[in-house]
Formats: sequence, C-alpha cells, structure tokens
Amino acid sequence: MLTKFETKSNRVKGLSFHTKRPWILASLHSGVIQLWDYRMGTLIDRFDEHDGPVRGVHFHMSQPLFVSGGDDYKIKVWNYKLHRCLFTLLGHLDYIRTVQFHHEHPWIVSASDDQTIRIWNWQSRTCISVLTGHNHYVMCASFHPKEDLVVSASLDQTVRVWDIGSLKKKTASPADDILRLSHMNTDLFGGADAVVKYVLEGHDRGVNWATFHPTLPLIVSGADDRQVKLWRMNDTKAWEVDTLRGHVNNVSCVMFHAKQDIIVSNSEDKSIRVWDVTKRTGLQTFRREHDRFWILAVHPEMNILAAGHDSGMIVFKLERERPAFAVSGDSLFYAKDRFIRNFDFPTQREAQVIPIRRPGSTSLNQSPRTLSYSPTENAVLICSDVDGGSYELYVIPKDSFGRGDGSLEARKGVGSSAIFVARNRFAVLDKGNNQVLVKNLKNEVVKKSGLPVPTDAIFYAGTGSLLCRSEDRVVIFDLQQWLVLGDLQTPFVKYVVWSNDMESVALLSKHSIIITNKKLVHKCTLHETIRVKSGAWDENGVFIYTTLNHIKYCLPNGDSGIIRTLEIPIYITKVSGHTIFCLDRDGKNKSVVIDATEYIFKLSLLRKRYDHVMNMIRNSQLCGEAMIAYLQQKGFPEVALHFVKDEKTRFNLALESGNIQIAVASAKEIDDKDHWYRLGVEALRQGNAAIVEYAYQRTKNFERLSFLYLINGNLEKLSKMLKIAEVKNDVMGQFHNALYLGDIQERVKILENAGHLPLAYITASVHGLQDVAERLAAELGDDVPPLPVDKNPSLLIPPTPVMCGGDWPLLRVMKGIFDGGFDGGRGAVDEEEEGAEGDWGEDLDVVDGLRIGDVSAILEDGEVAEENEEGGWDLEDLELPAEVETPKVSGNGRSSIFVAPTPGMPVSQIWIQRSSLAAEHVAAGNFDTAMCLLSRQLGIRNFAPLKSMFLDLYTGSHSYLHALTSAPVVPLAVERGWSESAAPNVRCPPALVFNFSQLDDKLKAGYKATTAGKFTEALRLFLSILHTVPLIVVESGKEVDEVKELIIIAKEYVLGLQMELKRREMKDNPVRQQELAAYFTHCNLQLPHLRLALLNAMTICYKAKNLATAGNFARRLLETNPTNENQAKTARQVLQAAERKMTDASQLNYDFRNPFVTCEATYVPIYRGQKDVSCPYCTARFVPSQDGQLCAVCDIAVVGADASGLLCSPSQIRNQIR
Amino acid sequence: MAGSPDHLFNLRNNFYLGSYQAAINNSDLPNLSPDDAVERDCLVYRSYIAFGSYQLVINEIDSSAATPLQAVKLLALYLSNPHDKESTISSLKEWLADPAIGNNLILRLIAGIIFTHEEDYNEALKHTNAGGTMELHALNVQIFIKMHRSDYAERQLRVMQQIDEDHTLTQLANAWLNLAVGGSKIQEAYLIFQDFSEKYPMTGLILNGKAVCCMHMGNFDEAETLLLEALNKDTGCKGS
Repeated sequence: MLTKFETKSNRVKGLSFHTKRPWILASLHSGVIQLWDYRMGTLIDRFDEHDGPVRGVHFHMSQPLFVSGGDDYKIKVWNYKLHRCLFTLLGHLDYIRTVQFHHEHPWIVSASDDQTIRIWNWQSRTCISVLTGHNHYVMCASFHPKEDLVVSASLDQTVRVWDIGSLKKKTASPADDILRLSHMNTDLFGGADAVVKYVLEGHDRGVNWATFHPTLPLIVSGADDRQVKLWRMNDTKAWEVDTLRGHVNNVSCVMFHAKQDIIVSNSEDKSIRVWDVTKRTGLQTFRREHDRFWILAVHPEMNILAAGHDSGMIVFKLERERPAFAVSGDSLFYAKDRFIRNFDFPTQREAQVIPIRRPGSTSLNQSPRTLSYSPTENAVLICSDVDGGSYELYVIPKDSFGRGDGSLEARKGVGSSAIFVARNRFAVLDKGNNQVLVKNLKNEVVKKSGLPVPTDAIFYAGTGSLLCRSEDRVVIFDLQQWLVLGDLQTPFVKYVVWSNDMESVALLSKHSIIITNKKLVHKCTLHETIRVKSGAWDENGVFIYTTLNHIKYCLPNGDSGIIRTLEIPIYITKVSGHTIFCLDRDGKNKSVVIDATEYIFKLSLLRKRYDHVMNMIRNSQLCGEAMIAYLQQKGFPEVALHFVKDEKTRFNLALESGNIQIAVASAKEIDDKDHWYRLGVEALRQGNAAIVEYAYQRTKNFERLSFLYLINGNLEKLSKMLKIAEVKNDVMGQFHNALYLGDIQERVKILENAGHLPLAYITASVHGLQDVAERLAAELGDDVPPLPVDKNPSLLIPPTPVMCGGDWPLLRVMKGIFDGGFDGGRGAVDEEEEGAEGDWGEDLDVVDGLRIGDVSAILEDGEVAEENEEGGWDLEDLELPAEVETPKVSGNGRSSIFVAPTPGMPVSQIWIQRSSLAAEHVAAGNFDTAMCLLSRQLGIRNFAPLKSMFLDLYTGSHSYLHALTSAPVVPLAVERGWSESAAPNVRCPPALVFNFSQLDDKLKAGYKATTAGKFTEALRLFLSILHTVPLIVVESGKEVDEVKELIIIAKEYVLGLQMELKRREMKDNPVRQQELAAYFTHCNLQLPHLRLALLNAMTICYKAKNLATAGNFARRLLETNPTNENQAKTARQVLQAAERKMTDASQLNYDFRNPFVTCEATYVPIYRGQKDVSCPYCTARFVPSQDGQLCAVCDIAVVGADASGLLCSPSQIRNQIR
Repeated sequence: MAGSPDHLFNLRNNFYLGSYQAAINNSDLPNLSPDDAVERDCLVYRSYIAFGSYQLVINEIDSSAATPLQAVKLLALYLSNPHDKESTISSLKEWLADPAIGNNLILRLIAGIIFTHEEDYNEALKHTNAGGTMELHALNVQIFIKMHRSDYAERQLRVMQQIDEDHTLTQLANAWLNLAVGGSKIQEAYLIFQDFSEKYPMTGLILNGKAVCCMHMGNFDEAETLLLEALNKDTGCKGS
C-alpha cells in the first residue's frame, strides 16, 4: 500500500471522491464534514450543520453538489461553491446510513435504520419512492452505475436487489412528482415503482455493505459474519459465487476496484484486505495498530482509494503506477504489461522488444520497479519486489529486436536493487550483508564489495561507480578502488537523474530536488510542496522536472519556475529542445511541446549570453510582472526596460538602471510633478545638468533652477530667472537671483520697491553706491538707520564662475549590448569574389610567358595518401597450419620442464602464400618477391621510383600496439574489408594505402594543373599515377579495365607534357619547337587540352611563318567547336592568313595527313608501317633503337621486355585459374 | 576482494594505462607497508623508465636497494645502452641463476621484458610462464601474441580472467588478444579501450589502442583523430 495522504480526526464514517478534482469528502462521527485536497494535503472547507454523526456523504458527478445523511435523520444537499447547505430532505425516521446521487437522474438514494430505502428527487426536493422490505436496519443502498437497479444490505442478513425501472418511467416528467406524492403513501406497502428483484441470502449475520461491480453483473457484500461474499446475477436470478474468508471481525465495507480485478474490503479487525476477483484469493493485508476501519471509497477514474478509520482517514494506492524505464541515447526502454518496449525518440516509433515473465498475481506491486540497460550488450536488467526484491536479466537477441516474439529465458537473482555498472557488469545490492555483488552477464559473481554506508538502494553513477542511498544521505562509491568519491546529506532520495555529460546529477526525493555535481558537491536544493515525480536534463543544463501537477524547470543557479500545469501525472523520459518526452501511467509515450522561452531566457541571462537575450526579446512576447520582477531582482533592470510598456514602470526601471534618456522619455509621457522631481534628482546625481534644468523647468521649480544656474555659473540664465521672478512679482525670488548675480543696484532697487527703504539704504551705502544712498537717505529723512560701527563691511559678491558648464564630464562607458541593440543593424552582404582561374591560353602571350618549372623537381616525391580499400577477398579461408601441440606443464614454479611453443605463422606470411599480387607482397614486407612479380608481370626493372611507395605500403599495413610498459610493441597486421561479423582468426588480405579512387583524384588534379598551365606539376601527378598503378589492387574485372585505361591516359599526358617542357627548353631551335608542338597535338588529350595544344601549336607555327601548318592547326581547332570565342576568332584569322598564303617557311618533320605515333624517347614520329618497340607496362612506343632501354615515360619498365601483363585484382587470378 | 582499500590501486592503474606522470605525481602515499613501499618504488622507477629517464633510475637505485629495485635498474641499464646489452644480460642471467633471488617476481618480469626485446621468446617464457603476478601473466599473453600463438595467449588470458576478470591488465590483455585474432573481436577490443577512456583520464596508451582498433575496422579518419590527440598529449609513452 502506498499511502498518499493521511488525516487525523474524529472517526470517519463516510467518504466520497470528487470525479475530476483531487478532492475527498470525509464525514465524521463528530458531525463535521471535511473537504480535503488530498494532493496538496490541505483542508479546503468544513461543513458543520448536522447534529450527531454523519454516516453517508456523496459528491454529485457533475454539479458542484454533495449530499450527506446523519443520525439527525436529515439528508442535506450542499453546494460546495457557495459553502452552504441548500436544503434538507426530511422523511426518514431513524439514523441515515448512506446517501448517494444517481449518475444521471436528479435522484438520491438513502438507507436508514428505519428499515427503508428512500429515493428522492433533489430538484423537486421530494421523496419519490420508499423501498420497504428489509426487516432490520438498512446499512447501505446504492444505484447501479448503468442499469435501473439498487442494491442494499441490511442487518436482516440479506442483500437485496431492487428494480426501479418503473420509477424511471413514471418520473418522465418532473411535474408527476408532486402528483405522485399524494398517492405514494397509499402504496407504501406493495408499491409498484420499486420492487425487490432478488433477495441474496447467505450471510449468517447482519450485512454491512453491498455494492455492484462497475461493469460486470457482480455484487460483493461484507457482513458481521466476517465474510466477504461474491454474487453473480443475470436477468432472472442471482446466486452466490464464492466466499472470501480472512477477516477476524465484522467486515464494515467492501468495494470493487475501478480498474483492476480486485476486491478491497475493510473491517473492524483493523485491517484492509485485497482479494483477487478471479482467483478469489487474498492478495494482501494492511493492518493498523489501533484503528478499526469503517468505510472505503474508490475513485471512479483514477487508481486511488480511501479508507476511514477510528482516528482519521488514509488515501492510498495499491500499486505503483510509474513505469520502469531507462533511456539510452535516442531510445527509451520501458516495461509495459508483459513486455519490454522500445521507443525511438527521433522517429517516435514504438516497438515491442521482448516478452518478460510476469509473476502471477500472488501479491500486489510485483511489476518491474527499475530498469537498467546496457546498450553495447543489448541487455536489460529489471528489478521488482518479487520475492522480497529480485532482478531479472534479459539479453535481447539482435534479430528479435522489433519482433518481440519467442520467449527468452531470464537470468534471475535476489537483490533489492540491481543496475549496470559497466558494459557487461552489473551490481546487485545484498542488503542483508550490506554489500554489492558485481556480476557478469552470465549472472556469475565476479566480485564482492562491502559498502561504506548502510545502503538500501543503489543507483548508477558512471562506469564502475555506484550511488548508494541510505536513510539520510547518499554516497558515490568507486567499486574498484573501494573508495568513497562523494558524500551528501539528503532527504530520502527516490530517483537519481544524471545529466547527459554525467557532470551533474539531480537527486529527487518526495518533496525536494537536490542538484549536485558528479562528486556530490551540493549546487542547489529546491523544495516542492507537491510530490516530485520525475525529471530530465535538457541540452543546456537545465533540469526539467514534473510534480504531480506541474512541469517545472530548475536553472543551474537554483532558480526555478513553472513551465505548465498538468492534468495527469507524467514521467519525463527525455527533453529534446522544446519537446518533452514522457510516459504516462498507462505506459503510453507522449510528447509535450513546451514554451521554453522563459527558462532559456533566464539561462541566457545567467550565462551572460546577452546576444541570445536580445534575440529573444526581439522575437518573443516575454512580458509579465513576474519577468520584470525577476529581472529587477537579478540586477537586470536595463533588460526589463525592453519589455515594459507601462510608462511608470518603465520610468522606475530607467532610473534604476541609470538610463536617463528613457527616463526623460517616460517622464514626458507621464508628465507629473513627482516623476519630474525624481528625474531631476537622478539627473543631478549623474551630473546631467541639461536634464536637471529641464526637469526643474517642467515643474516650475524656480528656486532650485536658480540655484542650479548659480552652481553651474550660468549667469545669463540666472539673469533671465531674475526677470522671470520680476514678471511673476516674486520679490523673494528676485532678491535671491540678484544676490546670486551679485547685482547690487538690482538688490537695492528690489528692496526699495518692496518698501524696505532702510535695508535699501544700508545696502547701497555699504556697497558704496553713494548717490543712491543719498537719495534714499533723503527719502527716509530722520529714519536713516545708523550704519554698523566697528565693523568692516565686505562686499557680498558671488565668486565668478571659472567656467560655465553644462553637463558634468562623464566617464566613457562601453556601450552595453542592450543599448541600441534594437536597431538591428544588418551587415552588408559580402560580395562574393569570383574564383577566377588563369586560363591556359587566354591570349597568345600568356602561353609563351609561362615559366618553365624546375624540370628536375618533376620526378621528386610521389604523393602518398591514406587509403581505405574496400572489397572482400574471396579466397578460401586458410586455417592456421596446425601445430604440434606441446603440452604445457604448469605448476612447480618456474621449472626447466616448460617447453615454449613453436612460433606460429605471422599474418604477413599468410598474405604472401595466398597472393600473387605485387602490392600484397609489398604490404607483407616481402619486397624481393614483390619485385620479382612486378618484373615478370610488367617488365619493371627500375624500382627506385617505387621505393617510397613500397615503404608506405608496408608501413600502412601494420599497426603497432603499445602493450605492457617497457616491453617491445606488438605489431599487428591490418587487414582490409573488415566487417562486424567477420570471424576471428580468419585472415583477410592486407589493407593497402593506395587505392583506385585516389588515382582518380590525382587524375583530376592532373587535368586541372594542365588546364592551369602548371605543366611541371601536372607531369609530376601523371607520373605518380603511373608509378602507383603497379601497386594498386582492385576488386572487379571492370575496375581492372579502368586501371588499364588510366595507364594509357597517364602515358599520353606524360608524353605530351614532356614534349611541351622540352619545347620550352629549345628556344633557339624554332623548327624543333614547332615539331614538338605539333606532336603534342597528336597526343590523346581531353578536348579542352587538345584545343589549347592546337592553339599553342598554331601560334608557334604562325609566328614562325609556317602558315600552311598553322592553318591546319587552325582548322583542327575550329573542328573542335571551341567554346571560347577568342580561340575561335584567332583560329579564323590564322586560317584566313593561311589561305592567302599556303606556304611553310621551314620544313618540319611532321606530316599530319599520315597517321603516326610519337617515339617517346626521341620525340620523332613513327608513321604507320614503321618498326617500333613498346614499353611492356605503359605501352609507350619507341623507335627500335630504344629496345632494352628504360622507358622514358614511366621510368620503371624496360622497353621491349617480356611481361605477362598487369595483375591488379584477385578476380584476374581466379580467371587465370579457371 | 572485499577488505581493506588497495592503496596502490590508482598507482598501478595509472602505470598500466600509461599515465606515467600521474603515477609519479601521486606516488606519495602514506601508511604503506614495507612490501607496498617497494612495489610503489618499482612502479615509480618503471614510470621514469617509460619516460626514457634511464639515467635517473640508474643513479637513484644504489646497490643496497631491494632485489626488485635492482631488477628495475637492470632494465634501465639494458634500455639505456643498446650497444652494450651483453653485460646487462649476463648479469641478469647470473641473478636468475641465484636461487635466493632468482624467483623474485619483479626480477622474472624484467627478465621476461628484456628477453622479449632480444626476441628470445623461449628464454623469456622460461621465466614468465609460471606467472605469479598479473603483470607476468599479461607479459605471457603479449609474448604469445608476438609468437603468433593466439591459442596459447587465450589460455593465458583465461588464467587471468579466473584471477580477476575486471583487473585492468586482464582487460588490456583481452584487448591485445582480440586485436591479434581480428575479425569481430576487434570491436570488443574497441569497447574495452572505450571503457577505459570513460573510466580513466585519456592516455596515449588508451588512445593508441583505440586508434589501432579503428584502423583495423577500416575507420582511418577516426584513427587519425585519435592519434593526433595522442600526439598532443605527448605523455612520453615511448614506442606507441
């Protein structure tokens, strides 16, 4: 039993759940009816009008009403919204035991000790039927949830079922009720509207309770004979099905559970018993020490019950409703019914994974409690309370994933909690000995370790560590080091949620959340009045959690707030952006989209990410008093300023943040004296004289204004003030201003005008204005006051201002991010620069102007690249040759009897045995056999250019493992074509660093270099292709052809480029230059390159006045339909010139009409029919004199040598064998 | 297994996993028994050897030091002078022949390491095959792998697993063997190194192990990243 709420009060005799709200009514023996919110644990209201015990109470399904009946014979109908009793129904002649509203008709059924059951219409407030027949107290009566039936129980030892069908018909119109009242009494005995349908006899003593099953035709009853009886009925009869024995005193109440096949009964024996309806066996018993139970209530929709006893009531659940789940990466594993299910967060797809055994319902709360998942081993560990705490381990077979059929045998064990602590290890808590057993996936104990604190549960805490919970603290314990890594006093922790980076952990207990780092160093604590249910970390380090009725957040600094309210409790599984994934109590996956703006905003503030803050301010509606208060409290009034529309708040915030401009603007809007004054004060504090002046002007505060002018030395304004005072007839102001100005004449004049002649006289005479003094003295006559004697008068003249200043100089402050942040300046869009590449022969001079690269550099360093060769190797697997096993003698310490095994065969040797591909021999380190192979296959004799590649191949096919310290490293052979399912100890061919796609890339680079006119670079690339090809291994026959094709392409380019470079060396021999340029045009080039070669040759010949030849090139160029208009234009011009004069200035060894190949060493044409020799590798052709020489193109093979041909694929070998 | 905390656990672990600097830095442990103290010194000096600071080790260990330390000094002598191995090897053989100290575990381990360097696996195994410490077993595994006898290596590994399946050396040896036999086992080796990298600070040795696994799985890009990271660490673990 999971107690959710408990009250202490007088004896509770009646209980009723509200259908929608978390409320329960409890009627007490003392006469009081209490209305509780069991979720918040607060007393909402109390109704105290009954006289004596209230035994029955019931909420209306939909109206804000409830009904109660008590020992004062009264039935009262109350409106809980109005907090008062609406009316009282009188009629019963003895105690009322139960009252109940009908689910749709405006009826109330009541049972009374007067041996009757009455049905009332609460709208007409009349009794519409009296059901007589019981001949003792009627202890309970209730309507059937759907049909027109009433069931009642009585101390006359019977349970009766009444048919009220005719009552329903008769009361079709409410007006009938009044009419019926008169003749009701007439058929008091034998009334036809409610007739006894069945009388259920079987109990030996008085029956205290009887109730219908919510859906099935069943009745359950409980009686003073200490028995609970189950009855079944059909249309014609009703009979006893079974008796549930176990209570040892009167059964006071019995109920069917709303959602499960369970009967709950309570009794004066101080116990609540739970029974299985189908098996009719006792499942569980809960006892109280001193209190007899009197009443039960079942929530109509939720999984919750209540029981009233001698000193209060309890609200409780029978079973935990939290589904056991574990999150692993993007998927969720959870237990639902009899299956482990999987939910994929990105696709939101659910699948059944494997069935799990479910214990027979011998007792309650046996469903999985926690679930732990090991992703690498695909294993699930489920803990439940079966056998006082046990676990089951399932390894999910790979293929069954998603199908979920076929049963799996679980490995089981006893232990109150079990979790994975490493990929293939799990820890089981052995509470009795306070130790953990670390087990492997075979369920074998590999290690035992005592625990540092008395532990009642363990949680995951990173690989190899445990978080141990005891009553009042948690510790993190490293299993290997036997060391406590962290320790924290906490309330009883229920759940532990680690952040994704395992740096922070949230410890959830019933009413608090503690956030700590991974060493359990406390960061913050939150207290909740409502139960905390679940939580998860979002990507930003904000902890999102749920209570029973809210989704809330907690920022790293401990600030928290509500995100939204919840209708039903949910269990958060993952937070992803604005989406919260959760499981509900039925084990359904849901996703809730939340408005994360508020906490993201606060988080950004906290992290000082003001750019984000600005963005959010611009784009969202974040207003609200709470947010402003938060910003003010956290010291960000300037941020708050941007939200606020209300001018007064804005003004206050502006003053607080010292933003005088906004304050002025707001003050203008508000325009009241107080605000101007406050603005003036702030402006004065800041030294902003202009604003102070403005504020004083607006409030017409002339005295302050004058003083301001005085201290600012603004005499001009001061004299204006004097005039204003004069106009306003403000003598005092005038005088002050005159005083400030040091204007004595004016002062005298003011005094005189004001009638203070003596003062005027004294002022004048003291200041030496003798003529005025005399005039005044004359006016005063005798009353001339005596001038003070013995005093040296000094002139009262204000100091002259050093400078007349306006605003005080202010420190230059960095413009805050918030100032002007709203301008939203848009950066100018960068103009994209066109990547212009120098064209090969845009104009004729460019070609000639090209620098000749260092030819010697061409042949240097072949390019080395990483390679990742794909493709299998289909030779039959050769097992390691069986060795004669030398029996190993163990024991006897280090004895000379030990015979070391003979060394096995290295992998590289296996490679050699299996292969006749040169590259693989090279990889195995057998350079000599590789060289033999290359020589035989391709006639290669010069291996110098291949040396670096040999070394690369060898190095690239081995990796080195640093094993035991100071011991030599272990070389390991790297094989290609690895796959997850490859069998161990079966050798694949070596991984090779060179592959075909690299050559393809090189070819492209070569083309590009050629286009760009970088001939040296291009030549280097094509040569390196030719040098790499002998060490290439490809898979299919088609690829072999591609390789062969590649050789030809590379050869043609090498030849052409070599000729072109040669041509440039021969500046002094124009004829040879022309010839070479001409031969170049006969190499098999890509079309753009051919055009360039033609253009080149055309230009050279044209310049050398060989117009006919140039014309030929021009024609050929035009035949290629050049895309470049310049080229075409030049060609046409040359062609025209040539047609005018079809002659050649010099004789060339070049006949374009006669097909030829160029000798690649001497660069002379070999016309068709002439003898030649060729290179066995690159197929370059040579004049016969070159026979036996090293090929000038590829530089590795010998011209005219015998060779069997390129072998670069295992497929070729297979074909040969065939 | 349960019992008193293992004071040298961290030190050993650091050493096995190649964080030699950490091993040296955290070697000042209070309340060690004399045996533990000698083992601690051995580990510290061997860490220096791993750094290549042979001379420091040779200078600091004098003739009065315990046999294990003498053995460590021998290793330093051997490694410091590749041209004059003969004298070192002859004194090693002399010591091994001495019944009083010839059976010392560290001496046997050092002998195994030196003879493995000499590629005289028979001689090495003569001294190591009987085992006695996890390190000796691990060395056996390594020698068998070098001899391309994974069947023997596997048997040796099983012995280690029986002693302590979760021991760092058992796990490491398991990874070595997995790499040596290849195929699907490569992935298991990767997982072992992955476990280490989650549990302990990254070291060159772990990174190297992971990188080797990646290479064997054809995942050269990741291997490169890992190796670059290892280079950046520059923990000075030679030979990796």
